[in-house]
Amino acid sequence: MRVLVIEDYRPLQQSLTKGLGEAGFAVDTTGDGQEGLWYALSNDYDVIILDLMLPGIDGLKILKELRSKGRQNHVLILTAKDTLQDRVTGLDYGADDYMVKPFEFRELLARIRALVRRSYRKKNPQIKVKDLRIDLTAQRVWRGRNELDLTPREYALLEYLAMRTGEPVSRTDIWEHVYEFKSAASSNVVDVYIGYLRKKIEQPGRPLLIHTIRGRGYLLGGQT
Amino acid sequence: MTSSLRTRLVIGIVGGMVLLLTAFSLTVYILIQRALVNQFDAALLSTAQILASSIEIDANNIDLEDVQQIPEFNDPKHQTYYQIWEQDGTVMARSPFLGTNDLPRLEASLNTAVFKVLNARNDPPQRAVGLKFLPRSEIGNEKNSQQSANDKILTLTVARGAGGLYSQLSLLRWLLFTASAVTIALSVLIAAFVVRQGLSPLHSIASEIAAVREDDLATRIGTASIPDEILPIKNRLNDLLSRLEGAFKRERRFTADVAHELRNPLAGIRATIEVNLTRTREITEYQSALSECLEIVENMQKMVDNLLLLARLDAKQISFQGEQVRLAELVNTCWRPLSKEAIDHQITFDNSIDPEITCETDRQNLAIILSNVLENAVEYADEQGQIRATGRQADGSVEITVSNTGCRLNSKQAAQAFACFWRGDSSRKDAGVHCGLGLALVERIIKALGGCTTVEVENGGIFKIHLTLPAK
Repeated sequence: MRVLVIEDYRPLQQSLTKGLGEAGFAVDTTGDGQEGLWYALSNDYDVIILDLMLPGIDGLKILKELRSKGRQNHVLILTAKDTLQDRVTGLDYGADDYMVKPFEFRELLARIRALVRRSYRKKNPQIKVKDLRIDLTAQRVWRGRNELDLTPREYALLEYLAMRTGEPVSRTDIWEHVYEFKSAASSNVVDVYIGYLRKKIEQPGRPLLIHTIRGRGYLLGGQT
Repeated sequence: MTSSLRTRLVIGIVGGMVLLLTAFSLTVYILIQRALVNQFDAALLSTAQILASSIEIDANNIDLEDVQQIPEFNDPKHQTYYQIWEQDGTVMARSPFLGTNDLPRLEASLNTAVFKVLNARNDPPQRAVGLKFLPRSEIGNEKNSQQSANDKILTLTVARGAGGLYSQLSLLRWLLFTASAVTIALSVLIAAFVVRQGLSPLHSIASEIAAVREDDLATRIGTASIPDEILPIKNRLNDLLSRLEGAFKRERRFTADVAHELRNPLAGIRATIEVNLTRTREITEYQSALSECLEIVENMQKMVDNLLLLARLDAKQISFQGEQVRLAELVNTCWRPLSKEAIDHQITFDNSIDPEITCETDRQNLAIILSNVLENAVEYADEQGQIRATGRQADGSVEITVSNTGCRLNSKQAAQAFACFWRGDSSRKDAGVHCGLGLALVERIIKALGGCTTVEVENGGIFKIHLTLPAK
């Protein structure tokens, strides 16, 4: 899942980038409000983590601009402003969640996961596709009774496909939601990782889970 | 002396009433007593004169026949007695009801009256009048008659029982005393009630003051009608509350600002530690995380040191050592640690201060001022911008001006530059490193050194800060 972090306090920005990346998110980061708005308008982020006091444009203006342009990204405000009025204002401007600094990183991850599930209308933190079971919280995957050993990138790819179970997912969507922009842009990369994933998921005697839809991309599970 | 205002007022009012009533009662009593006694004495004198005029000298005999006709002397119930003496003291005549008692012979001049109170041991008091007179003469020529009469000058004392008079006076005394006592007793009650009512606004104010909570100093005293005498107290109390409210607001704002400024570095430290503890890592990663945390802590320490310095300046706990300081030299010294960052941002620095300009001040604190001002200039100057320091000496003072290009503030915003935790946010380069205390410190230290600070924004985005200090 792709996350944008707009945070100007450098040590925190670095920790968030590192922690979210290690948690399987594709993370883009900026410390400038103007640049953050450009990023948010240019890409389809699953979650935007937004500080309020920013150089360039402050966080509330970014949020207002996003909503006025009809962007439906889930926005989590992460700020030192802690008064009730600040929280009410932030949420009323269109934020989906509000966290006050300092915070517990595990809680931030849980809230981001919840926002991602909400993006794809998944209430259950476990997704089942036929005999494939994905635990979104523990980031573990089972086929039948056998747990599969996936790399973080493979897991991220499978999670994105699982979120959109039953619908074809284009290579572009996969690229935009799973890969960081700094990695080399290539449709082959997606195909290669789909290949790796198939090798680990598809097992003889069990139904085929990842289908290639010619000209449209990939589909996990059966067509709905 | 009691400390209760109510008791003091009641005692004062009642004491005053007692004094006034006593004086009034005494005056009334004396006037009435005098009037009654005068009236009594006038009647007594009239009786004595009638008696004297009814005595006739007939040859060598004195005729008392007419005396028998005067009713006061013929009836004992009138308690009126007389006694007449000849010039040699021989009793010539006396009231038959005197019995064995004699009246005193009151010596008086001829045709004048002398009054006296007679107090017999077991009898009611009497008032007596003494008169010396010439009785009437019936025959003889005038000269002889006069000579003869001179030989017959008589002394007369007429006494009358004055029990009624003194009973009336006694009754009057008791009436006045009782009326005064009742009036004083009532005045105690009335005074207590009136004082209680009069002081009730004080109780109302006390209740309102007691209701003022330390977390709600917006309350003001005296919403109800207040007497004019207490109005100044109410107004001063409300002024005090306003000042306290302002001070508490500033204090709360300052505390909130400090807490807010600490949230970012704390979040940074916590996130760095938590993220690095999510898995086992290479030792270099831990070292990097620790370095990151140390850098944050150093910045936090700098902020805490600045806050402490501000607090000490406010409490006047900083002492200053005066010495001759060459301004251009000190500016260069303060610029040195900032030069690398300036070069990184291609900022040029021009120190145009005349090397001969000196100032007698505290070198260490002036260095803190200049470092903060120059650091602020580097922070807010634009890329490839320019920072310039100029100085001038005039009228017993020196002025250092530090200007930088790239200012995006207007004059109104720039005027806030000395407020604690205020930053020109939109132009910040490095959040968390600068917390907006530098210029606040500059203003306080300059003030403590006897100088002043002003800022201005010139067209073209040039921010200028003027530091004025006494030359000696």
